[in-house]
Amino acid sequence: MTTHLAATRQERLRARRRRGSLLARVGANRWSYVYLAPFTLLVAMFTIYPIIASLGYTLYQWNGIGSPTRYVGLQNFARVVHDPVQLLLALVLALVLNNPRLRFSTFYRAVYFIPAVISAAIIGVVFQLMLSNFGDSLSAALLRLHVIQRPVDWLGDPHAVLWIVIGIGIWNTLGYNLVYFLAGLQTIPAELYEAARIDGARAAAQFWHVTVPGLREIGMIILFLAVLYSLQVFDLVQVLTGGGPYYASEVVNTYIYHQAFGAGSFSGGGGGTLVQPNVGFASAASFFYGVLLLVITGVQALALRRIRQRRQQGARP
Amino acid sequence: MSVATGVRSARLWRPRLNRRWLPVHAVLLAAGFVWVYPFLWAVGGSLRSQAGFIDEGLSLLPRELDWQNYVDAWTGASFSTYFLNSVVITACTVTGTLLLTSMAGYALARSSFPGKRIFLVVTVITLFLPRGYTIVPVYDLITRLHLLDTLWSVVVVQVAGGMVFNTFLFMGYFITIARELDEAAQVDGAGFNRIYWYVMLPLARPMIATLGLFSFISSWNDFFTPLVFTLGQPQLRTLPVGLYAFVSQTSTNWTALCAGSIITLAPIVLVFVFAQRHIIDAVAGAVKG
Repeated sequence: MTTHLAATRQERLRARRRRGSLLARVGANRWSYVYLAPFTLLVAMFTIYPIIASLGYTLYQWNGIGSPTRYVGLQNFARVVHDPVQLLLALVLALVLNNPRLRFSTFYRAVYFIPAVISAAIIGVVFQLMLSNFGDSLSAALLRLHVIQRPVDWLGDPHAVLWIVIGIGIWNTLGYNLVYFLAGLQTIPAELYEAARIDGARAAAQFWHVTVPGLREIGMIILFLAVLYSLQVFDLVQVLTGGGPYYASEVVNTYIYHQAFGAGSFSGGGGGTLVQPNVGFASAASFFYGVLLLVITGVQALALRRIRQRRQQGARP
Repeated sequence: MSVATGVRSARLWRPRLNRRWLPVHAVLLAAGFVWVYPFLWAVGGSLRSQAGFIDEGLSLLPRELDWQNYVDAWTGASFSTYFLNSVVITACTVTGTLLLTSMAGYALARSSFPGKRIFLVVTVITLFLPRGYTIVPVYDLITRLHLLDTLWSVVVVQVAGGMVFNTFLFMGYFITIARELDEAAQVDGAGFNRIYWYVMLPLARPMIATLGLFSFISSWNDFFTPLVFTLGQPQLRTLPVGLYAFVSQTSTNWTALCAGSIITLAPIVLVFVFAQRHIIDAVAGAVKG
């Protein structure tokens, strides 16, 4: 981006020397402004204005009762826990599928990717039905196998629900991380493996000394995206549990939605929580959460830069 | 000679499955089957009778086929209306996104108008600001624009949501196109508009295909935006919102719920089957680039 901006500045200077007055240059580029008008209008109205306005709501409409930061902090971070599990699974699968001697790997890649292109609404409905306890259900099967002692109400049990939602979350988005890791593995030059083999490195040594260093940078980006994604989850939780039962699976986004638009009669599965709309409070929670996300993004970007710098220093003799 | 036959025999030998790989394939196939099991089960469930649905539990194949569920969902639960709404919204969002972002990307790639630098800086900043937490002011804005209770509310919010990212992708693509092409067109007397329409857009076909696919998938699957704007208006609901509403409306008609899920899922799965390589390669490219 910076090189592009620099190029733009040079272009500008050149153009200024050529054409002279500002007005003439604006006139000469009038069509550019026309082409950018819809973009500018939409971004200003739906991206920039809402950010400023939500700050306004926070300052003027939130009566100060309640603690928006409380919900921003604790529970939904439990969801981030699922990232390492998912990333590890995705990495193992990617290592298997990346082997050039494995046939049909494109087919397998597509199969494992499918849940990622399916709407959360469908996933919510299908899993609610699969996990419900009528007839020959999952509970009945596990009872027969003596895995559990009594039927479990998977989405209605406050202790089980968060883990179920996390498990479904792993299944849902694994495809993205699989494809990211595959892309990362393909950026490692084959010659490095060749050289390692010639030096007598076995598979494990090749993995630790070629694959892991080769994946460090792209792995950080993948982790970065995964954390941001799981902190912004809404759809899956809303359709599976509506945040219930008793707030057990509430995440920031479902919380904000319930505060802003109310909930109660309307919620899927495990029963929602009755909340009166409280727009100021919702805005305060969104605002604090937005700032928190921005900080997390910044920290991660800094970490990424450190790794890059260290790598460049290491590359120097 | 010997080299040539060596290559040929290698090629002949390769397509055969190496026996050493069979266990790997067995594991991958079994896990893949488990992976897509929920969808296969939903297909089975949508074809069961209601009694069969309870008896047969998590088994895959229905003992007796019952197509009535699709009729129940399509007419009884108004999935025909939801389907039409989804089609209209997705078509408008995809067209709007492609047109507006390619226009903006073209202008940014090809002209150095006064104010371009500050424009780019502000736009880049918005990319890093967290979105999705501003639904309250957006709802307020849509109300004041008198777009509430229309399908346009969803279209406008979706198009606006994809604006910055897609514009940057188009801009990047147009920058890679050789300037000689526009200069040749200029010599032939084509202006800014004609170059966009007759030179740049046809050349951007691969980018249009990729972004079209992604905005189709995200618009069709979108849950949050249509939930906020159409949940209270049954005649405006999209398929995902309609499905969500159907869960709470029916407490017993699970087979029709499965049928509704399949109706919602079918267009995406069709597109995915035909374009999976393109879609997955584009996802991979996002992290590589």
